[in-house]
Amino acid sequence: MEPGLEGPQLQFRSAEMGCAFDDFHGLISTPQLTAASSFTALLELAPPQAVELLVTEDFPAKQPPPPPPIFPTDIGLIHRASKFSVFASADNSLETNTILSVSNSLAVKQEELDADSRRNSYSPADSDQSLKSGKRKEREKKLKESNKKSKSKAANEPSDNGGAEELPYVHVRARRGQATDSHSLAERARREKINARMKLLQELVPGCNKISGTAMVLDEIINHVQALQRQVEFLSMRLAAVSPGIDFDLDSLFTVNGSSNDNSYSGMIAPPICTEGQLDGARQLQLQQLWHCDELQQPVWARETDTSNFIAPANSLLSYDSTSANSGKPFAPRCTTS
Amino acid sequence: MKARSSLEREFLEKWRKGLQIGKEDSTILERKDAIKLSADVAIAATKNAATHWRRALLCDVVSENPTNKHVVEHILGHKFKNTATRLTACSRRILRISQKRRQKAAPRRVVPKSRKRNRSRALRMLVPGGEEMDGVLLLQETLDYIVSLRAQVDVMRCLASIG
Repeated sequence: MEPGLEGPQLQFRSAEMGCAFDDFHGLISTPQLTAASSFTALLELAPPQAVELLVTEDFPAKQPPPPPPIFPTDIGLIHRASKFSVFASADNSLETNTILSVSNSLAVKQEELDADSRRNSYSPADSDQSLKSGKRKEREKKLKESNKKSKSKAANEPSDNGGAEELPYVHVRARRGQATDSHSLAERARREKINARMKLLQELVPGCNKISGTAMVLDEIINHVQALQRQVEFLSMRLAAVSPGIDFDLDSLFTVNGSSNDNSYSGMIAPPICTEGQLDGARQLQLQQLWHCDELQQPVWARETDTSNFIAPANSLLSYDSTSANSGKPFAPRCTTS
Repeated sequence: MKARSSLEREFLEKWRKGLQIGKEDSTILERKDAIKLSADVAIAATKNAATHWRRALLCDVVSENPTNKHVVEHILGHKFKNTATRLTACSRRILRISQKRRQKAAPRRVVPKSRKRNRSRALRMLVPGGEEMDGVLLLQETLDYIVSLRAQVDVMRCLASIG
Protein backbone atom coordinates (compact mmCIF):
# COMPACT_ATOMS: atom_id res chain seq x y z
CA MET A 1 0.00 0.00 0.00
CA GLU A 2 1.21 3.45 -0.79
CA PRO A 3 1.99 5.75 2.03
CA GLY A 4 -0.05 8.44 0.33
CA LEU A 5 -3.18 6.40 0.68
CA GLU A 6 -2.30 5.51 4.16
CA GLY A 7 -1.93 9.09 5.20
CA PRO A 8 -5.61 9.93 5.49
CA GLN A 9 -6.32 6.47 6.85
CA LEU A 10 -3.77 6.93 9.56
CA GLN A 11 -5.18 10.29 10.38
CA PHE A 12 -8.64 8.86 10.61
CA ARG A 13 -7.56 5.95 12.73
CA SER A 14 -5.62 8.12 15.08
CA ALA A 15 -8.67 10.21 15.65
CA GLU A 16 -10.52 7.06 16.55
CA MET A 17 -7.96 5.68 18.96
CA GLY A 18 -7.67 8.80 21.01
CA CYS A 19 -5.05 7.44 23.34
CA ALA A 20 -2.18 7.30 20.90
CA PHE A 21 -3.31 10.38 19.07
CA ASP A 22 -0.14 12.40 19.48
CA ASP A 23 2.06 9.50 18.58
CA PHE A 24 0.19 8.99 15.38
CA HIS A 25 0.47 12.62 14.50
CA GLY A 26 4.21 12.31 14.88
CA LEU A 27 4.20 9.23 12.76
CA ILE A 28 2.17 10.84 10.02
CA SER A 29 4.38 13.87 9.84
CA THR A 30 7.51 11.73 9.26
CA PRO A 31 8.72 11.58 5.67
CA GLN A 32 7.61 8.90 3.32
CA LEU A 33 10.76 6.90 3.79
CA THR A 34 9.44 5.81 7.07
CA ALA A 35 5.99 5.05 5.79
CA ALA A 36 6.49 1.38 6.16
CA SER A 37 7.83 1.83 9.63
CA SER A 38 4.83 3.92 10.53
CA PHE A 39 2.58 1.17 9.37
CA THR A 40 4.41 -1.31 11.51
CA ALA A 41 4.33 1.19 14.32
CA LEU A 42 0.63 1.32 13.85
CA LEU A 43 0.57 -2.42 14.00
CA GLU A 44 2.63 -2.50 17.15
CA LEU A 45 0.60 0.02 18.94
CA ALA A 46 -2.79 -1.34 18.16
CA PRO A 47 -2.86 -4.60 16.36
CA PRO A 48 -6.59 -5.09 16.70
CA GLN A 49 -7.31 -1.75 15.16
CA ALA A 50 -4.97 -2.57 12.34
CA VAL A 51 -7.01 -5.66 11.64
CA GLU A 52 -10.02 -3.46 11.54
CA LEU A 53 -8.28 -1.20 9.08
CA LEU A 54 -8.31 -3.95 6.52
CA VAL A 55 -11.83 -5.00 7.32
CA THR A 56 -13.66 -1.73 7.12
CA GLU A 57 -15.07 -0.29 3.98
CA ASP A 58 -16.13 3.28 4.62
CA PHE A 59 -12.97 5.18 3.75
CA PRO A 60 -13.82 7.95 1.37
CA ALA A 61 -13.83 11.51 2.67
CA LYS A 62 -13.09 10.77 6.26
CA GLN A 63 -13.26 14.23 7.64
CA PRO A 64 -14.88 14.55 11.02
CA PRO A 65 -18.43 13.73 10.14
CA PRO A 66 -21.11 16.38 10.11
CA PRO A 67 -23.13 16.83 13.32
CA PRO A 68 -26.14 14.63 12.46
CA PRO A 69 -24.39 11.30 13.07
CA ILE A 70 -23.56 12.43 16.59
CA PHE A 71 -27.18 12.91 17.47
CA PRO A 72 -28.28 9.28 17.53
CA THR A 73 -25.88 8.31 20.29
CA ASP A 74 -26.79 11.25 22.45
CA ILE A 75 -30.45 10.87 21.88
CA GLY A 76 -30.16 7.19 22.62
CA LEU A 77 -28.63 7.92 25.98
CA ILE A 78 -31.15 10.56 26.72
CA HIS A 79 -34.04 8.34 25.78
CA ARG A 80 -32.75 5.74 28.13
CA ALA A 81 -32.55 8.40 30.79
CA SER A 82 -36.04 9.63 30.09
CA LYS A 83 -37.41 6.16 30.67
CA PHE A 84 -36.40 6.43 34.30
CA SER A 85 -37.68 9.86 34.97
CA VAL A 86 -40.85 11.86 34.76
CA PHE A 87 -40.12 15.49 34.11
CA ALA A 88 -42.64 18.13 34.95
CA SER A 89 -42.09 19.63 31.56
CA ALA A 90 -40.87 16.58 29.79
CA ASP A 91 -40.53 17.94 26.30
CA ASN A 92 -38.72 21.09 27.25
CA SER A 93 -36.19 19.35 29.43
CA LEU A 94 -35.50 16.72 26.82
CA GLU A 95 -34.85 19.38 24.27
CA THR A 96 -32.63 21.38 26.55
CA ASN A 97 -30.73 18.26 27.46
CA THR A 98 -30.11 17.29 23.88
CA ILE A 99 -29.06 20.78 23.02
CA LEU A 100 -26.75 21.05 26.02
CA SER A 101 -25.20 17.65 25.58
CA VAL A 102 -24.75 18.17 21.89
CA SER A 103 -23.08 21.49 22.42
CA ASN A 104 -20.82 19.95 25.04
CA SER A 105 -19.84 17.08 22.82
CA LEU A 106 -19.29 19.25 19.81
CA ALA A 107 -17.10 21.57 21.75
CA VAL A 108 -15.00 19.11 23.65
CA LYS A 109 -15.24 15.47 22.85
CA GLN A 110 -15.75 15.39 19.14
CA GLU A 111 -13.15 12.75 18.44
CA GLU A 112 -14.46 10.33 20.98
CA LEU A 113 -17.94 10.79 19.65
CA ASP A 114 -16.76 10.13 16.16
CA ALA A 115 -15.29 6.97 17.49
CA ASP A 116 -18.54 6.05 19.15
CA SER A 117 -20.54 6.45 16.03
CA ARG A 118 -17.89 4.59 14.11
CA ARG A 119 -17.85 1.78 16.54
CA ASN A 120 -21.56 1.41 16.41
CA SER A 121 -21.42 0.66 12.74
CA TYR A 122 -18.57 -1.82 13.06
CA SER A 123 -18.84 -5.51 13.49
CA PRO A 124 -16.30 -6.05 16.23
CA ALA A 125 -13.81 -8.84 15.98
CA ASP A 126 -13.52 -11.17 18.92
CA SER A 127 -9.96 -10.38 19.81
CA ASP A 128 -10.47 -6.71 20.39
CA GLN A 129 -13.75 -7.07 22.20
CA SER A 130 -12.33 -6.47 25.65
CA LEU A 131 -10.13 -3.58 24.60
CA LYS A 132 -12.90 -1.79 22.79
CA SER A 133 -15.44 -2.35 25.51
CA GLY A 134 -12.98 -0.96 28.01
CA LYS A 135 -12.50 2.17 25.96
CA ARG A 136 -16.21 2.49 25.35
CA LYS A 137 -16.89 2.39 29.07
CA GLU A 138 -14.36 5.14 29.61
CA ARG A 139 -15.92 7.33 27.00
CA GLU A 140 -19.44 6.60 28.09
CA LYS A 141 -18.52 7.59 31.58
CA LYS A 142 -17.06 10.84 30.32
CA LEU A 143 -20.20 11.36 28.30
CA LYS A 144 -22.24 10.64 31.35
CA GLU A 145 -20.33 13.24 33.26
CA SER A 146 -20.98 15.88 30.70
CA ASN A 147 -24.57 14.75 30.50
CA LYS A 148 -24.93 14.91 34.23
CA LYS A 149 -23.59 18.44 34.28
CA SER A 150 -26.06 19.45 31.65
CA LYS A 151 -28.87 17.67 33.42
CA SER A 152 -28.06 19.19 36.75
CA LYS A 153 -28.00 22.58 35.04
CA ALA A 154 -31.40 21.96 33.56
CA ALA A 155 -32.75 20.70 36.86
CA ASN A 156 -31.31 23.48 38.94
CA GLU A 157 -33.16 26.21 37.15
CA PRO A 158 -36.63 25.10 38.18
CA SER A 159 -35.44 24.54 41.70
CA ASP A 160 -33.98 28.02 41.90
CA ASN A 161 -37.17 29.53 40.62
CA GLY A 162 -39.33 27.42 42.89
CA GLY A 163 -37.64 28.34 46.11
CA ALA A 164 -39.79 26.81 48.81
CA GLU A 165 -42.01 24.95 46.32
CA GLU A 166 -41.84 21.28 45.55
CA LEU A 167 -38.89 20.38 43.31
CA PRO A 168 -39.84 18.53 40.14
CA TYR A 169 -38.89 14.91 39.80
CA VAL A 170 -35.16 14.99 39.03
CA HIS A 171 -33.37 12.19 37.31
CA VAL A 172 -30.00 11.73 38.97
CA ARG A 173 -27.22 10.31 36.90
CA ALA A 174 -24.49 8.11 38.29
CA ARG A 175 -21.26 10.00 38.36
CA ARG A 176 -17.91 8.46 37.67
CA GLY A 177 -16.69 6.31 40.53
CA GLN A 178 -20.02 6.17 42.36
CA ALA A 179 -22.41 3.31 42.89
CA THR A 180 -25.08 2.98 40.32
CA ASP A 181 -27.68 0.82 41.99
CA SER A 182 -31.12 2.23 42.47
CA HIS A 183 -30.90 2.40 46.24
CA SER A 184 -27.92 4.71 46.37
CA LEU A 185 -29.36 6.81 43.59
CA ALA A 186 -32.53 7.31 45.55
CA GLU A 187 -30.45 8.05 48.61
CA ARG A 188 -28.52 10.69 46.76
CA ALA A 189 -31.67 12.30 45.42
CA ARG A 190 -33.11 12.39 48.93
CA ARG A 191 -29.93 13.86 50.34
CA GLU A 192 -29.94 16.56 47.71
CA LYS A 193 -33.51 17.44 48.57
CA ILE A 194 -32.60 17.71 52.23
CA ASN A 195 -29.61 19.89 51.44
CA ALA A 196 -31.69 22.22 49.32
CA ARG A 197 -34.19 22.70 52.12
CA MET A 198 -31.43 23.21 54.66
CA LYS A 199 -30.08 26.01 52.51
CA LEU A 200 -33.46 27.71 52.51
CA LEU A 201 -33.69 27.38 56.26
CA GLN A 202 -30.23 28.85 56.61
CA GLU A 203 -31.32 31.91 54.72
CA LEU A 204 -34.46 32.25 56.79
CA VAL A 205 -33.02 31.92 60.27
CA PRO A 206 -30.82 34.90 61.14
CA GLY A 207 -27.17 34.22 61.73
CA CYS A 208 -27.05 30.84 60.07
CA ASN A 209 -25.16 31.89 56.99
CA LYS A 210 -21.81 31.86 58.72
CA ILE A 211 -22.28 28.49 60.36
CA SER A 212 -20.94 25.53 58.43
CA GLY A 213 -22.32 22.08 59.00
CA THR A 214 -25.90 21.03 59.15
CA ALA A 215 -25.81 20.03 62.80
CA MET A 216 -25.10 23.53 64.06
CA VAL A 217 -27.65 24.98 61.71
CA LEU A 218 -30.23 22.59 63.10
CA ASP A 219 -29.36 23.80 66.57
CA GLU A 220 -29.94 27.37 65.50
CA ILE A 221 -33.23 26.48 63.92
CA ILE A 222 -34.40 24.75 67.06
CA ASN A 223 -33.41 27.75 69.14
CA HIS A 224 -35.21 30.07 66.80
CA VAL A 225 -38.43 28.07 66.88
CA GLN A 226 -38.30 27.84 70.67
CA ALA A 227 -37.73 31.57 70.94
CA LEU A 228 -40.65 32.35 68.67
CA GLN A 229 -42.97 30.09 70.61
CA ARG A 230 -41.93 31.68 73.88
CA GLN A 231 -42.52 35.11 72.41
CA VAL A 232 -46.03 34.13 71.51
CA GLU A 233 -46.63 33.08 75.10
CA PHE A 234 -45.31 36.30 76.55
CA LEU A 235 -47.09 38.48 74.09
CA SER A 236 -50.40 36.83 74.73
CA MET A 237 -49.88 37.28 78.47
CA ARG A 238 -49.04 40.89 77.91
CA LEU A 239 -52.07 41.45 75.77
CA ALA A 240 -54.19 39.81 78.41
CA ALA A 241 -52.91 42.33 80.92
CA VAL A 242 -53.33 45.31 78.64
CA SER A 243 -57.05 45.21 78.54
CA PRO A 244 -59.47 43.28 80.70
CA GLY A 245 -62.32 43.76 78.33
CA ILE A 246 -60.83 42.09 75.35
CA ASP A 247 -63.81 42.31 73.11
CA PHE A 248 -64.44 45.99 72.79
CA ASP A 249 -60.95 47.29 73.47
CA LEU A 250 -59.21 45.13 71.01
CA ASP A 251 -61.77 45.92 68.39
CA SER A 252 -60.78 49.52 68.32
CA LEU A 253 -57.15 48.54 68.51
CA PHE A 254 -57.56 46.28 65.55
CA THR A 255 -59.00 48.99 63.40
CA VAL A 256 -56.05 51.20 64.25
CA ASN A 257 -53.63 48.38 63.72
CA GLY A 258 -55.04 47.35 60.40
CA SER A 259 -54.07 50.62 58.83
CA SER A 260 -50.60 50.76 60.26
CA ASN A 261 -49.68 47.12 60.00
CA ASP A 262 -47.22 47.65 57.21
CA ASN A 263 -45.16 50.32 58.90
CA SER A 264 -41.73 49.70 60.23
CA TYR A 265 -41.22 49.15 63.88
CA SER A 266 -39.71 52.53 64.52
CA GLY A 267 -43.07 54.03 63.85
CA MET A 268 -44.88 51.51 65.99
CA ILE A 269 -42.90 51.88 69.16
CA ALA A 270 -44.72 54.81 70.62
CA PRO A 271 -44.37 55.01 74.38
CA PRO A 272 -47.32 53.00 75.63
CA ILE A 273 -49.70 54.24 78.20
CA CYS A 274 -48.17 53.83 81.57
CA THR A 275 -51.26 52.46 83.17
CA GLU A 276 -50.20 48.88 82.84
CA GLY A 277 -49.16 46.70 85.73
CA GLN A 278 -45.69 46.97 87.12
CA LEU A 279 -42.75 44.91 86.07
CA ASP A 280 -41.47 42.02 87.99
CA GLY A 281 -37.70 42.06 88.21
CA ALA A 282 -37.16 38.37 87.72
CA ARG A 283 -39.48 38.25 84.78
CA GLN A 284 -37.67 41.12 83.15
CA LEU A 285 -34.36 39.31 83.45
CA GLN A 286 -35.90 36.20 81.95
CA LEU A 287 -37.31 38.14 79.08
CA GLN A 288 -34.00 39.82 78.45
CA GLN A 289 -32.35 36.45 78.22
CA LEU A 290 -34.95 35.46 75.72
CA TRP A 291 -34.24 38.54 73.65
CA HIS A 292 -30.54 37.83 73.48
CA CYS A 293 -31.28 34.63 71.61
CA ASP A 294 -33.12 36.47 68.92
CA GLU A 295 -30.85 39.12 67.52
CA LEU A 296 -33.31 40.52 65.07
CA GLN A 297 -35.78 41.63 67.62
CA GLN A 298 -33.25 42.70 70.16
CA PRO A 299 -33.16 46.42 69.41
CA VAL A 300 -36.93 46.51 69.35
CA TRP A 301 -37.25 44.82 72.68
CA ALA A 302 -34.53 46.93 74.22
CA ARG A 303 -36.52 50.02 73.46
CA GLU A 304 -39.60 48.49 74.91
CA THR A 305 -38.04 47.54 78.22
CA ASP A 306 -37.77 51.12 79.31
CA THR A 307 -41.32 52.05 78.75
CA SER A 308 -43.34 48.86 78.73
CA ASN A 309 -44.44 46.68 81.54
CA PHE A 310 -44.79 43.00 81.86
CA ILE A 311 -46.90 40.54 83.65
CA ALA A 312 -45.89 39.23 86.99
CA PRO A 313 -45.63 35.47 87.49
CA ALA A 314 -48.61 33.40 88.44
CA ASN A 315 -48.38 33.80 92.20
CA SER A 316 -48.47 37.50 92.23
CA LEU A 317 -51.01 37.49 89.48
CA LEU A 318 -53.66 36.18 91.75
CA SER A 319 -53.10 38.91 94.24
CA TYR A 320 -53.00 41.41 91.42
CA ASP A 321 -56.28 40.14 90.12
CA SER A 322 -58.06 40.26 93.38
CA THR A 323 -57.04 43.84 93.90
CA SER A 324 -58.08 44.82 90.42
CA ALA A 325 -61.39 43.04 90.69
CA ASN A 326 -62.14 44.77 93.94
CA SER A 327 -61.10 48.17 92.91
CA GLY A 328 -62.63 47.98 89.49
CA LYS A 329 -59.59 49.52 87.95
CA PRO A 330 -57.63 47.34 85.53
CA PHE A 331 -54.28 48.43 86.80
CA ALA A 332 -53.08 48.58 90.33
CA PRO A 333 -49.92 49.98 91.86
CA ARG A 334 -46.92 47.70 92.38
CA CYS A 335 -48.21 44.26 93.20
CA THR A 336 -46.85 42.32 96.11
CA THR A 337 -44.73 39.35 95.29
CA SER A 338 -45.45 36.40 97.44
CA MET B 1 -42.70 41.90 51.74
CA LYS B 2 -46.07 41.63 50.18
CA ALA B 3 -46.51 37.96 50.90
CA ARG B 4 -45.74 38.47 54.53
CA SER B 5 -48.13 41.34 55.01
CA SER B 6 -50.94 39.40 53.33
CA LEU B 7 -50.27 36.53 55.73
CA GLU B 8 -50.30 38.96 58.64
CA ARG B 9 -53.55 40.50 57.49
CA GLU B 10 -55.17 37.11 57.19
CA PHE B 11 -53.96 36.18 60.64
CA LEU B 12 -55.25 39.42 62.12
CA GLU B 13 -58.71 38.95 60.63
CA LYS B 14 -59.02 35.40 61.86
CA TRP B 15 -57.67 36.28 65.26
CA ARG B 16 -60.23 39.01 65.66
CA LYS B 17 -62.95 36.59 64.64
CA GLY B 18 -61.86 34.19 67.33
CA LEU B 19 -61.63 36.85 70.00
CA GLN B 20 -65.15 37.99 69.35
CA ILE B 21 -66.41 34.72 70.68
CA GLY B 22 -64.53 35.18 73.98
CA LYS B 23 -66.77 34.99 76.98
CA GLU B 24 -66.31 37.08 80.04
CA ASP B 25 -62.94 35.95 81.42
CA SER B 26 -62.21 37.00 84.94
CA THR B 27 -58.60 36.09 85.49
CA ILE B 28 -55.63 37.16 83.51
CA LEU B 29 -54.63 33.58 82.95
CA GLU B 30 -57.96 32.79 81.39
CA ARG B 31 -57.73 35.81 79.20
CA LYS B 32 -54.23 34.90 78.19
CA ASP B 33 -55.34 31.40 77.31
CA ALA B 34 -58.19 32.71 75.23
CA ILE B 35 -55.93 35.12 73.41
CA LYS B 36 -53.31 32.46 72.77
CA LEU B 37 -55.91 29.97 71.63
CA SER B 38 -57.41 32.36 69.15
CA ALA B 39 -53.99 33.33 67.91
CA ASP B 40 -52.84 29.74 67.42
CA VAL B 41 -56.02 28.68 65.69
CA ALA B 42 -55.88 31.76 63.53
CA ILE B 43 -52.32 31.13 62.41
CA ALA B 44 -53.19 27.51 61.72
CA ALA B 45 -56.19 28.55 59.68
CA THR B 46 -54.17 30.69 57.29
CA LYS B 47 -53.58 29.35 53.79
CA ASN B 48 -56.61 27.12 54.14
CA ALA B 49 -54.95 24.84 56.73
CA ALA B 50 -53.21 22.96 53.96
CA THR B 51 -49.92 21.93 55.52
CA HIS B 52 -49.22 19.11 57.92
CA TRP B 53 -48.35 21.21 60.93
CA ARG B 54 -51.45 23.32 60.57
CA ARG B 55 -53.73 20.33 60.64
CA ALA B 56 -51.79 18.81 63.51
CA LEU B 57 -52.02 22.04 65.49
CA LEU B 58 -55.77 22.20 65.03
CA CYS B 59 -56.09 18.58 66.08
CA ASP B 60 -54.06 19.24 69.21
CA VAL B 61 -56.16 22.26 70.07
CA VAL B 62 -59.40 20.36 69.73
CA SER B 63 -58.24 17.26 71.54
CA GLU B 64 -56.87 19.29 74.45
CA ASN B 65 -60.21 20.87 75.25
CA PRO B 66 -63.35 19.88 73.39
CA THR B 67 -64.93 23.25 74.00
CA ASN B 68 -62.33 24.76 71.72
CA LYS B 69 -63.94 23.10 68.79
CA HIS B 70 -66.51 25.79 68.23
CA VAL B 71 -63.79 28.42 68.25
CA VAL B 72 -61.96 26.46 65.61
CA GLU B 73 -65.01 26.07 63.49
CA HIS B 74 -65.94 29.71 63.82
CA ILE B 75 -62.53 30.81 62.64
CA LEU B 76 -62.25 28.22 59.93
CA GLY B 77 -65.72 28.86 58.67
CA HIS B 78 -66.54 25.22 58.15
CA LYS B 79 -66.88 21.99 60.07
CA PHE B 80 -63.65 20.60 61.40
CA LYS B 81 -63.16 16.85 61.19
CA ASN B 82 -60.83 15.51 63.80
CA THR B 83 -60.46 12.11 62.26
CA ALA B 84 -57.90 10.73 59.81
CA THR B 85 -55.38 13.49 60.40
CA ARG B 86 -53.23 11.67 62.92
CA LEU B 87 -51.63 8.32 62.34
CA THR B 88 -52.30 5.48 64.68
CA ALA B 89 -49.53 4.17 66.92
CA CYS B 90 -49.00 1.15 64.72
CA SER B 91 -48.61 3.04 61.50
CA ARG B 92 -46.34 5.51 63.23
CA ARG B 93 -44.08 2.66 64.27
CA ILE B 94 -43.99 1.37 60.72
CA LEU B 95 -43.04 4.78 59.45
CA ARG B 96 -40.20 5.15 61.92
CA ILE B 97 -38.84 1.68 61.14
CA SER B 98 -38.75 2.43 57.43
CA GLN B 99 -36.96 5.69 58.15
CA LYS B 100 -34.34 3.92 60.25
CA ARG B 101 -33.73 1.43 57.48
CA ARG B 102 -33.26 4.20 55.00
CA GLN B 103 -30.77 5.92 57.26
CA LYS B 104 -28.70 2.76 57.65
CA ALA B 105 -27.97 2.64 53.94
CA ALA B 106 -26.32 6.07 53.98
CA PRO B 107 -22.56 6.36 54.57
CA ARG B 108 -21.02 7.60 57.78
CA ARG B 109 -20.85 11.32 58.42
CA VAL B 110 -18.49 13.49 60.41
CA VAL B 111 -20.97 14.32 63.16
CA PRO B 112 -22.09 11.13 64.89
CA LYS B 113 -25.56 10.09 63.88
CA SER B 114 -26.85 9.98 67.44
CA ARG B 115 -26.44 13.73 67.90
CA LYS B 116 -28.14 14.46 64.63
CA ARG B 117 -30.98 12.18 65.56
CA ASN B 118 -31.35 13.93 68.90
CA ARG B 119 -31.58 17.23 67.13
CA SER B 120 -34.13 16.03 64.64
CA ARG B 121 -36.10 14.56 67.51
CA ALA B 122 -36.01 17.91 69.31
CA LEU B 123 -37.21 19.64 66.17
CA ARG B 124 -39.97 17.11 65.76
CA MET B 125 -41.23 17.85 69.24
CA LEU B 126 -41.27 21.56 68.55
CA VAL B 127 -43.10 21.52 65.26
CA PRO B 128 -46.70 20.40 65.69
CA GLY B 129 -47.25 17.02 64.13
CA GLY B 130 -43.55 16.52 63.66
CA GLU B 131 -43.35 12.94 64.86
CA GLU B 132 -44.90 11.58 61.73
CA MET B 133 -42.74 13.37 59.22
CA ASP B 134 -39.63 12.13 57.52
CA GLY B 135 -36.49 14.22 57.13
CA VAL B 136 -37.39 16.04 53.96
CA LEU B 137 -40.94 16.85 54.99
CA LEU B 138 -39.80 17.94 58.43
CA LEU B 139 -37.50 20.60 57.04
CA GLN B 140 -40.16 21.83 54.68
CA GLU B 141 -42.75 22.09 57.40
CA THR B 142 -40.27 23.78 59.70
CA LEU B 143 -39.70 26.41 57.05
CA ASP B 144 -43.37 27.17 56.72
CA TYR B 145 -43.87 27.03 60.47
CA ILE B 146 -41.11 29.56 61.13
CA VAL B 147 -42.56 31.96 58.59
CA SER B 148 -46.01 31.72 60.14
CA LEU B 149 -44.72 32.03 63.70
CA ARG B 150 -42.83 35.15 62.70
CA ALA B 151 -45.94 36.69 61.24
CA GLN B 152 -47.87 35.83 64.39
CA VAL B 153 -45.23 37.37 66.66
CA ASP B 154 -45.01 40.49 64.55
CA VAL B 155 -48.71 41.15 64.63
CA MET B 156 -49.00 40.46 68.35
CA ARG B 157 -46.09 42.70 69.10
CA CYS B 158 -47.58 45.50 67.04
CA LEU B 159 -50.81 45.16 68.93
CA ALA B 160 -49.09 45.00 72.29
CA SER B 161 -47.04 48.09 71.58
CA ILE B 162 -50.07 50.12 70.62
CA GLY B 163 -52.10 49.28 73.68
